[in-house]
Amino acid sequence: MTPMRFEAEYGPLWDDFAEQLSLANQGKPVDAALLAARYRRVCENLALAQSRAYPIHLVARLEGLAQNAHQLIYRRQDYGLRTLGRLLRQDLPRAVRAEGRCVLLALVLFALPLALAFVLALRGPDFALHLLNAAQLRDYEAMYADGKQSVGRLREAATDWQMFGFYVFNNIGIGFRCFGAGILAGVGSAFVLVYNGLLIGAVGGHLTRAGLGHNFWPFVATHSAFELTGIVLSGAAGLRMGLGWLAPGRMTRLEALRQAALAAVPLVYTAFSLLLVAAVFEAFWSSAAWIAPAVKYTVAGLCWTLVLAWLLGAGRTHAR
Amino acid sequence: MLSLQPAGLVSRTMAFLLDLLIRLGIDLGLLMLLSSLGGLGNGLILLGMFCVEWLYPIVFELSRWGATPGKRSLGLRVVMDTGLPVTPAASFTRNMLRVADFLPLAYAFGIVAMLLNRECKRLGDLAAGTLVVHADPVVLHDALPPGAPLAPARPLDSREQAAILSWAGRAKRLTPARFEELAQLAAPVLPPASPDEPSRDAAPRLLGVAQWLMGRRA
Repeated sequence: MTPMRFEAEYGPLWDDFAEQLSLANQGKPVDAALLAARYRRVCENLALAQSRAYPIHLVARLEGLAQNAHQLIYRRQDYGLRTLGRLLRQDLPRAVRAEGRCVLLALVLFALPLALAFVLALRGPDFALHLLNAAQLRDYEAMYADGKQSVGRLREAATDWQMFGFYVFNNIGIGFRCFGAGILAGVGSAFVLVYNGLLIGAVGGHLTRAGLGHNFWPFVATHSAFELTGIVLSGAAGLRMGLGWLAPGRMTRLEALRQAALAAVPLVYTAFSLLLVAAVFEAFWSSAAWIAPAVKYTVAGLCWTLVLAWLLGAGRTHAR
Repeated sequence: MLSLQPAGLVSRTMAFLLDLLIRLGIDLGLLMLLSSLGGLGNGLILLGMFCVEWLYPIVFELSRWGATPGKRSLGLRVVMDTGLPVTPAASFTRNMLRVADFLPLAYAFGIVAMLLNRECKRLGDLAAGTLVVHADPVVLHDALPPGAPLAPARPLDSREQAAILSWAGRAKRLTPARFEELAQLAAPVLPPASPDEPSRDAAPRLLGVAQWLMGRRA
């Protein structure tokens, strides 16, 4: 078949297909079965045109059509509550358990400095001053001082909503950066983990030593269930990505990086959901000074149990 | 097989700057609209800024256009290495890794990475397995100019046919002198010129051969 006859025979089909594609790309409803049938014909035409070395303008036209249809047909559209539910019930906890070694490493990198800084800050006033300057420490003391309506705030004027916005913007932002920085051989994530561990430990130890523990501990007990796990998981995701290409095994480094990033993404999703819940609790529940510490501790125990049960137990059996 | 044309540093930088402007505009709009609402307003501003910073590129890349408004206005599109539309996990990865691309300042790592590989990928693209491509590839070949068909002196194999057709498709873009010069290379396949022919040039007669190859007969 000559190029001219080819074009004369299939040209009308290509025109119809192009028109249908532009309609579909504007979001208008089109006959999907017809579109799919025409797509297959056009792919067939493209393969023929390429193998027969037809003129380039012809091949390019078919290529453009196939490309646009490709983008339209294979775009993922199954977003919805069902997918989200499945993600939360099974996929995320499973992914976290599958990366258990990275999570453990992140936990060690976070918890050891935290415990160390806590003990050191508890034993004397010097250690906390190595990490924070005196003004910052005074601010922390003011935040957890007695007789305030909402604990954990510098200014009384800040409302729950403002703090919620701040926690989302700041804490989840840190979680995402902790993951992103992991590509630098995991160093970025390790730094964020160790630094935050030291800081949290030092502040906790300092406030306890200063006699403000009765305000501090009820405040942090509940949302820490979500926030600390969130930090550890985003750090674990970063470590997974960084160590993935550092020790690629039998893959090329690039391939290993791609695989590692793919494995790490569910961990970031998990960290994101945990940090979001943490922000809600921190803004609306933890700060309420009128709730008795006993109640807060009970809820905190419940939350820690729930989070650990979710991460360790959810999605273990195939529910059919 | 589909061919993809990766976008270069300049067009991607332009797209980024456009997006930056749009994002700053949204942030300013939020500030002006909501700052009078007190604590609730401030909370919403911060939530909005979070969404604009982190979710804006992801949402737009997963949309029908496969590109943020900035990329779209420059004719760019984000796709997987395979040419498939970008997946949620890949879009998420490439946008989270902006953090690493930005280091040590002003996207230095990202720019170096883009200049060092053939497909112009920044670190985020390398990890996510994504490409930023021109949505509508540039085609430098037009339809063949008209002419009377002329049978070649001998049968041509497919490579020779393809070369002559490609040459004819560039008629509008080459200077007449260069067009003729290239046609001279194919002079052996032209049939001997009849004595009453007005022009001795090879180009018009090779165009005739191209028309003959396209399937036109006298």
